[in-house]
Amino acid sequence: MNNTLLECRDITVRFGRGSEAFDAVSDASVKVVENEAIGIVGESGSGKTTLARVLVGLQTPDQGDVLLENKFLDSGEHTEGISQSDRWKVQMVFQDPYSSLNPMLAGKNAVAEAIQVWTRCSKSKAMNEAIELLGDVGIPPDQASQLPGKLSGGQRQRVSVARALAPRPKVLIADEPTSSIDQSAQAQLLNLLRRLQEERKLAIIFISHDLNLIRYLTSRVYVMQKGDIVEHGPTERVFLTPSHPYTQTLIQSIPGSKSDTIQIIGNSEV
Amino acid sequence: MIDDGPEPLPPLLSVNKLSVSFRVGSGLNLPVIDTADFDLEAQGSLGLVGESGSGKTMLCRALIGTLARHGAVINGGSVSFAGKPITNLGESEWRKLRGHQIGYVPQSSMAGLNPILTIKSQLSEVVKDSIGGSEFDVRREVLELLERVRIPRPTAVMRSRPHQLSGGMRQRVIIAAAIAQRPKLLIADEPTTALDVTVQSEILALINELREELGMALLLVSHDLAVIEEMCSLMAVMYAGATVEVGPTEDLISSPNHPYTRALNTSRTDRARPGEVLESIPGDAVSVGHWPNGCRFWPRCPIAEQDCQDGLQPDLLAIQQRASACIHSDRMGVAA
Repeated sequence: MNNTLLECRDITVRFGRGSEAFDAVSDASVKVVENEAIGIVGESGSGKTTLARVLVGLQTPDQGDVLLENKFLDSGEHTEGISQSDRWKVQMVFQDPYSSLNPMLAGKNAVAEAIQVWTRCSKSKAMNEAIELLGDVGIPPDQASQLPGKLSGGQRQRVSVARALAPRPKVLIADEPTSSIDQSAQAQLLNLLRRLQEERKLAIIFISHDLNLIRYLTSRVYVMQKGDIVEHGPTERVFLTPSHPYTQTLIQSIPGSKSDTIQIIGNSEV
Repeated sequence: MIDDGPEPLPPLLSVNKLSVSFRVGSGLNLPVIDTADFDLEAQGSLGLVGESGSGKTMLCRALIGTLARHGAVINGGSVSFAGKPITNLGESEWRKLRGHQIGYVPQSSMAGLNPILTIKSQLSEVVKDSIGGSEFDVRREVLELLERVRIPRPTAVMRSRPHQLSGGMRQRVIIAAAIAQRPKLLIADEPTTALDVTVQSEILALINELREELGMALLLVSHDLAVIEEMCSLMAVMYAGATVEVGPTEDLISSPNHPYTRALNTSRTDRARPGEVLESIPGDAVSVGHWPNGCRFWPRCPIAEQDCQDGLQPDLLAIQQRASACIHSDRMGVAA
């Protein structure tokens, strides 16, 4: 398939040295095509965040390659690959908006700064675009002028989404985007991400331990355990007929799964 | 008076129009709970649901007598436990109740343990309180406790310090401390929030087993409706400091009588069809100090009318086993 946007092949990331060395990610291959939402699930320590950091270019793998639009991202080995300046195509929304936003920078300034870095346009043009972008994610101008400390968790996370969208990326990686916000704000954020995916033909990679969220949002899923991808496939297939014992354990652990999950999903009108 | 049955027992825990405020200066109060209203029978289970800032954790603090440490006071209503009022107890009276009759499992397992003491010395402190006795007896009791919360290799765990244990193991130790005195009521404030899903299901199963073994009632605070559904037969929903709906969990989930309860249900990812738009609640939860007049939910409510915006937060109106604070709950079925 040549509409693959982002792909990693046989990635291994090793932490520590000598006898203490361990593979946080071993031999992992993941790919995402245009306008596709995929999920990476696993528990804490399974390596999903490390893999996300490799995909976005924050972590250099010990082995394996990352390809953006079928071109190698430049590492030492592949100097013919695309340059650092193409990195804008992959952006990340971090887990915790409390630490990923500059507390001294109002939302619109944070977004305008990102626009300026990538487009090198004038300050006033960047500011206008920032306000428009923030409006699109549901942050009205009066809230856009507030410092992050004045915003709720859900609003802050929407500002981070706007900031990630600033360079008009093709791939968005969302690492546990809803774990620090309330349920009603979560629903707003998930609806927003789905709409953005459609409107902007974005590919989105959701990293989460929340299996319900992954099931709701993605069409393909990778399941990670202790650095390995133990199972992957179409999300519904993996949820209904998990083949790996670890996936089976995970799915049985979802609250309510023992009784009637499948029935409820088939009958969601309340 | 004709009375042909035994007097009905008072509920184990009764929270009656409780108001709690932060003290923010001379004579000034910032209300954080206004009002909470529910009962919990002996050996029963009640889930307390709500978003951050709705007052769940402050309510727990009122029930274990630690409001003063957080700069808050009860300024209305009452709480009674086992038929006796506990609204205005002094610290010495709370010491007899807290940990003995009412066990508490806090949100973060790190916060509940002393980072520099071994598990043995921390649990010894708790059991010494009740059995006194020799070093030998205390040690045996601690070991028994660790076995009771299904900790593998308990003798090794006794020698460990909290950071050497996994989050799930730490939470088991906290639970061991909470049940050491065989309390009649266990209050667990988001006990599995920081845990992985497989560990979460183990901890929830443990809490259920212990409830049965010890005949404890459970007050479980959670923002996760699926967890409440699995663990609790009753449910109380809080919004902006008020209980807005109380009743059997099943009923509140299948046919909510308050628009906020319904919105919590419809915004759940585990109930949505993949790809379907989630029915989210518009706007943001109102924070303490910014409560609107009238029903506090009206600015976000799809069925709000003019009369919702006036006066005070409506009281819970009981109909049979259920109670809702929505003055238009009769229209719940019709609204989109």
